[in-house]
Amino acid sequence: MATNTDTNTSPTDDTASKRVVDDPILEIEDTNVTYSEGDTYVLEDVNVTIDRHEVLGIVGESGSGKSMFASALLDAVPDPGLLTGKIHYNRKDGSTVDILQMSDEELRQFRWEEISMVFQGAMSSFNPTMKVGSHFKETLRTHDKNVSEGMEFARELLENLYLEPERVLDSYPHELSGGMQQRALIALSMVLDPEVLVMDEPTAALDLLMQRSILQLLDNLQSEYDLTIIFITHDLPLVASLADRMAIIYAFQFAEIGPRDEIIGNSAHPYTRELLNSTPNLDAPLEDMQPIEGEGPAPVNVPSGCRYHPRCQLATEKCRTDDPPFSPVDGGGGHRSACHYREEAREEIPLNFGKTAEDFDQQLVSDPTDGPNAGSTATLETTSDTPLLSLDDVEVHFGEEQSLIERFTQDPTVVRAVDGISLDIEEQDLVCLLGESGCGKTTLGKTMIGLQKPTGGSIEYRGHDIWEAKAGNTDIPYKEVRSALQIIHQDPGSALNPNRRIADILTEPLRHTHPNIGRAERRDRMHSLLERVGMTPAGDFLERYPHQLSGGEKQRVALARALLMDPDAILADEAISAVDVSLRIGIMDLMLELQAEFDTSFLFISHDLSNARYFAEHGDGRIAVMYLGEIVEIGSAERLIHDPRHPYTEVLRWATPNLDLDAMDAEDPPIREIDVPDPVDPPSGCRFHTRCPVAREACREEQPKLAELDDGDGAAACFREDPNHAYWNSEPLDGAAENPEGLEQH
Amino acid sequence: MNYYLRRTVRIPLTILAVATFTFGLIRLLPGGPFTQLRIQLIRQGVPAEQVNARIEALQNIRPDAPLWQQYLDYLIGVAQLDLGRSISLNAPVIEILARALPWTVFLVVTSTVLMFVIGVLIGAIQAYKEGSRFDKVASGSSIFLMAVPYYIFAVLFLFFLSFQLNLFPTGNAVERGIEASLSAEYFLSVLHHAALPIIAFTIGGVGSTALNMRGNGIQVLGEEYVEVARLRGLPDSRIATKYVAKNAILPMYTGLLLLIGFRLGGTVVLEQIFSYPGLGYYLISAVNANDYPLMMGCFLVITVTLVIAVYIADLTYGLIDPRISAGDSDGY
Repeated sequence: MATNTDTNTSPTDDTASKRVVDDPILEIEDTNVTYSEGDTYVLEDVNVTIDRHEVLGIVGESGSGKSMFASALLDAVPDPGLLTGKIHYNRKDGSTVDILQMSDEELRQFRWEEISMVFQGAMSSFNPTMKVGSHFKETLRTHDKNVSEGMEFARELLENLYLEPERVLDSYPHELSGGMQQRALIALSMVLDPEVLVMDEPTAALDLLMQRSILQLLDNLQSEYDLTIIFITHDLPLVASLADRMAIIYAFQFAEIGPRDEIIGNSAHPYTRELLNSTPNLDAPLEDMQPIEGEGPAPVNVPSGCRYHPRCQLATEKCRTDDPPFSPVDGGGGHRSACHYREEAREEIPLNFGKTAEDFDQQLVSDPTDGPNAGSTATLETTSDTPLLSLDDVEVHFGEEQSLIERFTQDPTVVRAVDGISLDIEEQDLVCLLGESGCGKTTLGKTMIGLQKPTGGSIEYRGHDIWEAKAGNTDIPYKEVRSALQIIHQDPGSALNPNRRIADILTEPLRHTHPNIGRAERRDRMHSLLERVGMTPAGDFLERYPHQLSGGEKQRVALARALLMDPDAILADEAISAVDVSLRIGIMDLMLELQAEFDTSFLFISHDLSNARYFAEHGDGRIAVMYLGEIVEIGSAERLIHDPRHPYTEVLRWATPNLDLDAMDAEDPPIREIDVPDPVDPPSGCRFHTRCPVAREACREEQPKLAELDDGDGAAACFREDPNHAYWNSEPLDGAAENPEGLEQH
Repeated sequence: MNYYLRRTVRIPLTILAVATFTFGLIRLLPGGPFTQLRIQLIRQGVPAEQVNARIEALQNIRPDAPLWQQYLDYLIGVAQLDLGRSISLNAPVIEILARALPWTVFLVVTSTVLMFVIGVLIGAIQAYKEGSRFDKVASGSSIFLMAVPYYIFAVLFLFFLSFQLNLFPTGNAVERGIEASLSAEYFLSVLHHAALPIIAFTIGGVGSTALNMRGNGIQVLGEEYVEVARLRGLPDSRIATKYVAKNAILPMYTGLLLLIGFRLGGTVVLEQIFSYPGLGYYLISAVNANDYPLMMGCFLVITVTLVIAVYIADLTYGLIDPRISAGDSDGY
């Protein structure tokens, strides 16, 4: 049993040390969760102490037992799991209880009043047939609280979470957006003013900007209401900005725990270090980002000795046989790690973001020709004048269904998913569409590959209008267009037919592209392609069904299937967000390698700037930032990250977590509103003006055009690019910065 | 609001389609009803020159007029609730239907509601006690009840309880000689006569409702919001009603009203077995007597009732499930 003393080990950690006192609120001893009568451990031998008023970030891959830990803290392990051990809870008044010894009635009162929980899916955490407000009221009533006082507190909470209390309380869950639901759920879990908030992936379903905004709000709530927060996530950089201490869970055990700065900057476990190196971020040099080979073990198949040894590059015989103790590192300081070779890990696995952004900048400055221009000239050389895909003023408007009578009585409500976008995609080009959910990036992507018919404008494939071709009005057969433009979906699980073997799934496209080849040759081709996408032994995989593959493998099959159509362009719609963090880089590398080999263009959709950056920078491509159906900025990844011109790009840049300890403690979000406006009724003028930190009166009236930048590559749609624009003389909008120059230093 | 409007406008359109279909069906029947009717009338000794006039009187249709004229006449007749005259009973079809329909509706609605309530209760208990002995026995019985057609029960009841033990009457909706009034005697007689048909008709449907409810219940019990509600410390009774029952019954609700319409057609056999003077009883006798006007009337009434049941289901579904009234139903 380790006691957690003052964690003030690093000079930059003063905020954390102020909060952390030697006053544990939860002491967890020898806690296990087992299934199948004790044979299968899904949480093993946990000995952790959680301090009052700290934020503990717990990071683990999917299926590592991290959710089990969350449930264990409320003694709410799902049946038939068995929870054993001791979890001591120290009340404010000094008395101590063991949560596992409580009677049902004690437990009922304890939960939510002392320890509360926020789940991942807000949509599934609310009763869909009950108003949000009723959830609050019934909770208060059940716990014998004064309902009107409690509702007053609830309103205060909602307001602190940037929500309109009355509107939210009077809505049904489905009437709120995902981000609003998640914030309402946080308020619901805090309505009884608990001491501890356990959050199990509370933001995983949201896009990055909303995640970061919520984290920011959590930080405020934590200090305002003296909360202890246990934040469980798979996303290491995300929680790093919030946490005082961090813990890493691997294969149902704690692998490492310690103050945040120690874990990020000086971690003593190979898994942590490799996890840090495999995380796409904005600061590290690209070539140093390395995926971790292999995947985490299943509970029935846990390796002997150190659980990480099959994936560890430092593993020795000792690691295979001896389970390393979870013991203090460097003689205390609250940093503990379960590894035999901590010093070696620190020496052998350098952290890539330690090579600060300076080297990177120098590299950029010293070799400007290696930037985007080199890439675009290269593509220009290889192609003729006609681009592969050419969008001209494309509009996609979705009208909501109306009856005969409504057509006469009401104006049609139209969602402008894509509103006037012109974009050329060259042969072997790479374009990343970046933006929040609901900004129309998926619709634009589908329009580009001819899956969605535009309601205005035209889309041409090598000079032939796709929809004319479909109607049979051009000399190019539609079949050719169709097979040239392929898609990889976000969720590979539902994109592969569960009743067909991989061999059958891959045979289908081959039949189309090579109708005349024999069975044996088809098999050869599938074989070599599967090996090429890193699935060996290929013969074995060909005989499997999709459910026998892991998430990463499924996505590789989906990629192989798309490639077998011999496409000219592939749309990858959030294709890596369903894949575990440690594997993402591997999949992205594969896509980039195959792009060159198979001579295709890639359209990559993401809400995550660091993924888009990795993709665009490696593939010499462009990033197009979308907001409410329009492209507001486009350019190379380097330029967008180091010199963003549109305020929205800066906001996205802010939302992207980085691992730089100095810059980590997040400031307030540089936006005035957290939620995206309703796309049915987009704001007038510049659509971003309602949230823009530097908006002025001029932005409200006039809509800026996407204009080529004079002193950089790409284009941006903002008045601030034009030094003579009326913008500079108009008044800042309510809440916007007086001095926009301040933002540029940001 | 637009949702309700949309649904309301659809009603007359559906009924028009049904009437058209009935009209077309009668014209298309092999041999054709008019041939049949003509033969029948001639056999009855009606002079050949009067046959067309008689047909017109019976069917609301002038057989010698062009098709569109016949169609219009028929539609106008339907709109005026004039469905012609029954040949075999020699009375206006609408009168016969008006007498028969209440009995059938009484049978069907009572038995369907009973079936739903009993089935939901059994299914809910099964879901809560998933895997228990009760669950296994109830599931087995449900499958048995689904496999045996309701008329088998009807015949068995009739044979043992009515003929052998004389506990229940073997026919009619009410004791002869008792006037329709609000007296207790009348109501008791009605219940006494309807008891067996209702029980037989109920038993057949309980099985599928229970299994359906069991499946929905287990699914809802696994939902995260139920887990969250438990963690929030809500009493089990509230979780059972507000969370589990409401969300589990909701998808079955449209099915319920559809079922009422569907089961209207099922009364044909039931009423025949119990000699119960409802719609089905008259439909069978109309078929046997080649009484086309009555047949068409029964057919039209059954379909219109079905349309209205679905309409009510759709309207009230919006009141029960908030996700529907918004016009989008991404929840289900």
